[in-house]
Amino acid sequence: MSAAPQAQRYGSGAVVRRIEDRTLVRGEGNFTDDVTLPGQTWLAFLRSDRAHARILSIDADAARATPGVLAVLTGAELVAAGVKPMPVALPFKRPGGGALTTPPRRALAHEVVRFVGEAVVAVVAESREAARAAAAAVWVDYEDLPAVAGIEQAVAPGAAAVWPEVTDNLAAEAQHGNAAATEAAFAAAAHRVKLHIVNQRLAPVTMEPRSVLAFMDRDRLTLRLSSQMPTAVRGGVADAIPGRTLDNVRVVVGDVGGGFGMKSGVYPEDIVLGYAALQLGRPVKWQAERVEEFTSAVHGRGQVADAELALDAAGKVLALRVRTFAGVGAYPSNTSIIIPLLIGPWVSTSIYDIQTIHLKMTAVLTHNASTGAYRGAGRPEAIYIIERLLDAAAREMGMDGAELRRRNMIRPEQMPYTNPMAQVYDCGQFEKLMDQGLALADWVGFEARRAASKARGRLRGRGIATFLEWTGGNALTETVTINVTGDGYVDVTCATMPMGQGIATSYVQLAHDTFGVPPERIRILMGDTDRANGFGSAGSRSLFTAGGAVKVASDKTVDEGKQLAARALEAPAADIEYRAGRFSVAGTDLGIGLFELAARQSGSHFTVSADATAGAPSWPNACHIAEVEVDPDTGDVQVVAYASVNDIGRVVSPLIVKGQVEGGAVQGIGQALCEKVSYDPETAQMVSASFMDYALPRVDGFRAFKTQFDQSVPCLTNVLGSKGVGELGTIGATPAVVNAVVDALASAGQGRAAEQVQMPLTSEVVWRALRGQYAARSF
Amino acid sequence: MTALNRALNFTLNGRAVSTQAEPATLLIDLLRSSLGLTGTHQGCDTTQCGCCTVLLDGDSVKSCSLLAVQAAGRSVTTVEGLASLGRPADGSLHPVQEAFSACHGLQCGFCTPGMMMAATCLLQKNTQPTDADIEQALEGNLCRCTGYVHIVDAVKQAAAAMNGGAR
Repeated sequence: MSAAPQAQRYGSGAVVRRIEDRTLVRGEGNFTDDVTLPGQTWLAFLRSDRAHARILSIDADAARATPGVLAVLTGAELVAAGVKPMPVALPFKRPGGGALTTPPRRALAHEVVRFVGEAVVAVVAESREAARAAAAAVWVDYEDLPAVAGIEQAVAPGAAAVWPEVTDNLAAEAQHGNAAATEAAFAAAAHRVKLHIVNQRLAPVTMEPRSVLAFMDRDRLTLRLSSQMPTAVRGGVADAIPGRTLDNVRVVVGDVGGGFGMKSGVYPEDIVLGYAALQLGRPVKWQAERVEEFTSAVHGRGQVADAELALDAAGKVLALRVRTFAGVGAYPSNTSIIIPLLIGPWVSTSIYDIQTIHLKMTAVLTHNASTGAYRGAGRPEAIYIIERLLDAAAREMGMDGAELRRRNMIRPEQMPYTNPMAQVYDCGQFEKLMDQGLALADWVGFEARRAASKARGRLRGRGIATFLEWTGGNALTETVTINVTGDGYVDVTCATMPMGQGIATSYVQLAHDTFGVPPERIRILMGDTDRANGFGSAGSRSLFTAGGAVKVASDKTVDEGKQLAARALEAPAADIEYRAGRFSVAGTDLGIGLFELAARQSGSHFTVSADATAGAPSWPNACHIAEVEVDPDTGDVQVVAYASVNDIGRVVSPLIVKGQVEGGAVQGIGQALCEKVSYDPETAQMVSASFMDYALPRVDGFRAFKTQFDQSVPCLTNVLGSKGVGELGTIGATPAVVNAVVDALASAGQGRAAEQVQMPLTSEVVWRALRGQYAARSF
Repeated sequence: MTALNRALNFTLNGRAVSTQAEPATLLIDLLRSSLGLTGTHQGCDTTQCGCCTVLLDGDSVKSCSLLAVQAAGRSVTTVEGLASLGRPADGSLHPVQEAFSACHGLQCGFCTPGMMMAATCLLQKNTQPTDADIEQALEGNLCRCTGYVHIVDAVKQAAAAMNGGAR
């Protein structure tokens, strides 16, 4: 039975127009770069054009002499001014037991540059053109040093050290599970499969580049920027800049043109902007050029693994063993390290009843940009590994891939289920979901479609991924304040962030469930650290944490209103009823409107705060099935069918979650087929720093989605019964599509050799694979 | 820094505009800065993303690759002028805007103005576009949120609405 209440006009469960759209389709959005302040100046960065070099000197005389230039900032000046590096503090150890160690991540490079794109000098000028021209006029004298362009180079014997304190470039390591038990399981196994799996670096690519406008509001430093986590930015800026505290730093966020994890937390640039505004006492703006986004915003994925599965004769998985190296860049953050070392491992066994694991994950320093959160953040890598392994095992055993998955799925009666990483799944009916997926995709009719494709000269392949993911960021409490105003608004204030996902609309729907007032009377206020603070929006957490708090606070507001109405109507509170914006005394025609009641209160409003805490992360899960056609002459891959059945618990906004799953899936297809951040292996120069070099999915990619939601398994650990949805499609699409291509290649005569292909499966990769040519493993 | 401002007269969203621009000023910068029309967005430096798409005499062009002075004597339509493009300025949305909202053809909304202008250009010339026509018209516009699925739906719905309105 569905937990969703009766859908009202704009209530939860109803298909509605998003409130965000009203301004966005008119071009009246409020993105950071849309705001210009009186006296505003512009900042431009000079970035390192080499991967590893010592800064011998910086000659900024020409820049300073450029008309309109107001300031030239260097790393040395920031260090002298006491600007602190951004801390990395995690309990992980290095191999051998030493404490985790990384180079200090500074706002501007000091003494040494460690990746192409690292900010070295900042120039502030009266105009953007002057700032950019002056930055280009700065002469930096570098002494080149040897660079490690990626994981392979960083772990090679004699490799240059990114940080002298870590001579082997191994910044941190984590092991999970039981090595001996895993070894024993492999020794006793009837079947063993092993794959070398590359999860290439990706650029998250928000269409809106990062943008920051920093200014002084009397003695308070205010940063207006595009971010998913205003509170974290406030903390990072206050921590880094001397004299700044949480009290005298404010962060304001307007519309955010895409986040995908990339805009979570403080960036070095934010600190430079804050420092510059403090020094100049004038507003300072920076908008990243696209090349700056490719080279200096965080990247996702970037992991290389050797993964093995042991199975018994019947196909029951006995053990999983994974050895992963994650190239975290030169200046990893906490996020860079925790994603591969902990978050990925949490879901490494996915929806399968596997209790014997041995995972060894190592974070490797490289002369690259930092990795960080990108849609899925650890789960795509882990799910890709187990789903690729299961297909390999099925092929090895001559078994249908769906049947092998079925034999290993956790059954409903095993819930709550504790996986070997001590993560507890509250609910999930994985086999039922897969059966719906198989029906939606017409699994049994595939051979006829394959034959039809063959008749057209195409090689058809089919891939499946059944999986779950962890959502919530383990930040499970949110506070929501509701202010009912005498002029007719229900103002809902919270600390999560809109970034395109439509969360404000979902909150309006939830508040509308309780208040029953027209949606235009409900305003969602977010994006200001003077109003509300919290974790922000990431990890598919907002709806089931803050959305839950919206419901709790709404109910509490109505309860409070009943008390106030009882006084106004001189009736017992127990007799007061509330419906659709009006309190009334039961059985009478006595009543008072919600907003009229507010107008009668002191200050013409009444305010209620409430928090809600989800008891645990939510575990959305899904079955995604892709079919592809390969052109054997060109290697071109077309995704020709994509069916998914998704369990995200209770659905609040049906159209929005469809957009999340399908839009997310196209990002996952992007990883499977076309996207890759590339550094030159010799120079560590980035060679994919524009949209001409980094292949993003375009409109002609694919759109024949069949997308369904099964709402029959509500989450048991939060008040809404909802599970996170933001990352599900991205996580499922990559393995489903790659498995389909491997199937097409294997069926075309490549057999298990096809399992050597590595993403992205470009035409060249597929064309070569069809001819038995596979890239040598990198190490 | 040169200050060789040139007088520049053109039609913007149906109204005559007299302004000035330096020879090197791009149309997008004139629109966003001097004229304060911030609905046209800049998403890249290489004319690849299409966020800055506007109509120039009815053709969709990327305003980051056009000099402002090239607009002289011509008619420019930005997203701010879409609602009143060939229709009464009564506050209602253009069918393309209407369809993008109804079909959930936008998420973050950053690519949306350019996407809608490219779609409008298509629909003014082709009232019954096929999927292939829509793909060709939007090939130069990148979207990272929607996966394009609902954008194509929106263009089809807008076409139907515009045809219905013409009958």
